[in-house]
Amino acid sequence: MASPIRILTAVPICDGHDSAINTINLEFIRHGIEVIYLGYHRSVGDIVRAAIQEDVRAIGISSYNGGHVEFFAEVVDLLRKRGASGIKVFGGGGGTISHEDAAAMRGKGVDQIFFAGTSLSKMTDYVRKHYGKQRMKRAPAKSPEIELAQKLTKIEENKESRKSKVEARKKEKGKKLRTSRRSRVIGFTGPGGAGKTTLIDELVLRFLNEDSKRRIAILSHDPSVIGEGALLGDRATMINSQNDRVFMRSMATRGQAGGLSPATHDCLALLAKSNFDYVIIETVGTGQEAMPFQKNGIVDLTVLVMNPDYGSRLQLQKIVMLDLAGIVVVNKSDLQRARTAHSEIEQRLEQNRRDQLLIDTVAKQHRDPGVDRLFDLICGSEQPQRGKARNKS
Amino acid sequence: MSKLGQVVEAVEKYNHFVIDQVKRARSDEKFGGELINRWNETKAKTPVTHTPTGLPLPRLALPEIDEPGEIARYLFGEGLPGEFPFLNGAYREMYLEPVREIETGSYGKKASANGAKQKAGGDSVRPPEEPTRLFSGLMLAEDTNERFHYLTQHQRTHRLSTAFDGPTLYGIDSDAYGVFGKIGEGGVAIDTVEDMVRLYDGFDLGSPNFSASMTISGPAPIIMAMYIAAAKRRFGPKVVPKLRGTIQADIFKEVQAQNETIFPIEASLRFLTDMVEFTTREMSRWYPISISGYHIGEAGSTPVQQAAYTLSNGFAYAEMFTSRGIPVDQFGPRLSFFLDCGLDVEYIALARVSRRIWAIGMRDAFGAGPRGQLFKLHTQTSGRSLIAAEFKNNLTRTAAELMLAYMNATNSCHSNSADEPFTTPGEEWIRLAAHGQAILLEESGIFKHTMNMLSGSPGMKAVERAVEAAILDEFREIERLGGVLAAVEDRFQRSQIQNAAHRYEQQIYDGTRPIIGLNKYRNGEDDAPEIKLARTPRKKQQLQVDRLAKFKKKNAEKAKRALDKLVDVVERGENCFPALLEAVEVASLGQITLRLQGVVGKFRPMV
Repeated sequence: MASPIRILTAVPICDGHDSAINTINLEFIRHGIEVIYLGYHRSVGDIVRAAIQEDVRAIGISSYNGGHVEFFAEVVDLLRKRGASGIKVFGGGGGTISHEDAAAMRGKGVDQIFFAGTSLSKMTDYVRKHYGKQRMKRAPAKSPEIELAQKLTKIEENKESRKSKVEARKKEKGKKLRTSRRSRVIGFTGPGGAGKTTLIDELVLRFLNEDSKRRIAILSHDPSVIGEGALLGDRATMINSQNDRVFMRSMATRGQAGGLSPATHDCLALLAKSNFDYVIIETVGTGQEAMPFQKNGIVDLTVLVMNPDYGSRLQLQKIVMLDLAGIVVVNKSDLQRARTAHSEIEQRLEQNRRDQLLIDTVAKQHRDPGVDRLFDLICGSEQPQRGKARNKS
Repeated sequence: MSKLGQVVEAVEKYNHFVIDQVKRARSDEKFGGELINRWNETKAKTPVTHTPTGLPLPRLALPEIDEPGEIARYLFGEGLPGEFPFLNGAYREMYLEPVREIETGSYGKKASANGAKQKAGGDSVRPPEEPTRLFSGLMLAEDTNERFHYLTQHQRTHRLSTAFDGPTLYGIDSDAYGVFGKIGEGGVAIDTVEDMVRLYDGFDLGSPNFSASMTISGPAPIIMAMYIAAAKRRFGPKVVPKLRGTIQADIFKEVQAQNETIFPIEASLRFLTDMVEFTTREMSRWYPISISGYHIGEAGSTPVQQAAYTLSNGFAYAEMFTSRGIPVDQFGPRLSFFLDCGLDVEYIALARVSRRIWAIGMRDAFGAGPRGQLFKLHTQTSGRSLIAAEFKNNLTRTAAELMLAYMNATNSCHSNSADEPFTTPGEEWIRLAAHGQAILLEESGIFKHTMNMLSGSPGMKAVERAVEAAILDEFREIERLGGVLAAVEDRFQRSQIQNAAHRYEQQIYDGTRPIIGLNKYRNGEDDAPEIKLARTPRKKQQLQVDRLAKFKKKNAEKAKRALDKLVDVVERGENCFPALLEAVEVASLGQITLRLQGVVGKFRPMV
């Protein structure tokens, strides 16, 4: 079976009109398309960088604030400059884009403009017809970033053809990988709504600020909906991670349970040996039994992010990751229940008799001291830790 | 329980109170008799007006009831126009053509957020028909200034409504990366206090006949400070208490719907409160916030959601200002509202019900005096209801919406132009839109002879009951989520609005929501208007960038000191508005935004 189509959608800089694009995104994913949504008020640079890293087939731009002729053209130009003219550009803006404008935009390399009144199904059909064909053999990548992005795509697409699935996993699970890689790999998991994405983005800000040469990779996951599509929306909220020193890739789970995608392991292995200082992996919101990162796997340090509202303390006994995580974070520690949560989780961790750490954070707060502490812990220890966090608080 | 929970209780309690009064009027003969006397007196005192054909009509129409219970239900449940709980109107008379008497109400010429045309009770003593107030802003400050002068050249009162360009709305300087091309598009480019001086050049900012409206929220406190600084440069410090006008400054609706937020929510609210504390104390004629449902409606909410979120946002602001220690009777009268009016039947009573809930909530949950109970409303017809296909039908849509808005006794109204699905409106369509209001209010006899001409039909009452119950349900849900701020952070309103928008689109596509010319009675031919786009020439954009560079260079040293001081005040948690007033003298909008973001962070968008 062919892989789902991946496209990126966004709203231009200084434009907050996201009502249309939200509706269109939902329609796309309902028809099997994977949409990486970058959000509103986005610069040309952010859009092109994201499209290249995500190796999408096309960029859909929804513009309602004017200046569209220039903006669309700049996106096409920058793609060309970066050697990524294989990524197509389409879009719309209701009645704000006139027929003459659209003609001018097409002249500058835009594929298609949808006018007011275009039905959602017409747009979906267009995307499937024009961006859904199997890719021809691809030309050599014009930059290391494009090369990496294309390799990730290949891994993901190969996973779809079942034959290579088992073999590939066997082949790449060996020790060779672990010895050859350079990056420190940190895994984030936890229930949906705990604030993993915000927490990671706050850590990225600190990574970038602390050392102006540091490079980070992020592998983020969102669930596929029934059928094949998925809304991959982490980029929209990860404002600090839209940076030239951050390589981010959004993956859909494509039917696999447990919080990761069938291709995660191999993609992670590739990123880990690709010259990043840190590789961060974020699972989808997980359930109690989830165990996304294996002991002695490729992840050096596992961070479990909890929401204070996990229910009764009995629930804690059932959360498998509480046994495995190196660091447990109670995020949203400004909520009323946070103190209770802290002490209940503390007791639960004591049963394990391992040096697991428990930290309270308020990730939504700028310069939160809890996040600072988590950052120090992650950076502070040079040695990779497997399963155990050896830091003492 | 948050204040919103108390508001729900207050409305429930008030509704019981009304029923008790009805019973009492029926059982207590003395009380019933008093009510009947009062009722008859009101009727007897109502002046008689004559239509152009000579037909005599009362200036206030009241239901034909003589039973004390029903009279009690009317007087307590609805109130006469201008009386608590203000269901029928915030003022005793509105829209009526002048007769001999002089109004006693304190209603002034409120500056409105997006007002094109100002119509209000109390107009009757002024010289006839004045002023279209156009929402305008284009290119650079001097271009908009020229437009302002053109628009007001024949007007006695100068009421300007200012639209800002995208970079300004997002607190970004014109020389920032990636914004060239957006400078002066869709509004005026403002980077510095010098731009602000140019923008209103030639207008007497301290005059009682002048008011300025500024439609901006994210960086509102900075822009407000620039306005004050510009006024002081031109007229000296004594002008400050005389300044009249409004600034939108509605952070909650930005986060819920319009997406023009630049600081994290709590920091934004804090800066807003700093500004409100300052202006309500020092500038008693300024409206420092326009609590707006319009953008919530335009983003796709249902009418009930629009009213419920707007009102609850309003109560949340009131709670915030109160807990800062600002007296309710200081800020209460300085709040105003802005709602959308579309074609759904809810709109027949949406603003009426909102006015009632606001009055009860402010009186009983916040202890506000009479002036703080008024829900002063600006309405704009729905932009979202306008359709590109066979766009001239939009004239009819807007006319119907205007009818609904006036049936709700809105204090002022803006009617959209039929060509708005395509572009910023052209002059021909603007004129038609403004004339639509004049035709309804001045040409037709629907509103000018009699107050309450269309109030209180059985259908309207049915909608009122259903809408009020639905709004209270929304309040309860928000309360369950921990109040407005917690619900906002939980993305509750956002996701509700998005779901409603999606359902609306679905209904259009499956035909259950007929849109004439689009999915029904379609002609097939689109008759797009001829569009003349006013683009900002690159040369002008470059001029703005160059001017800004000069300003920055000139003030580099001073800016550093002023910004350090501002940051210091913010870190200490004091009211930062005075420091902001100093900073805008030497620093640009973008410089201030960036430094503040360094302290409080950037807004993290919600999806």
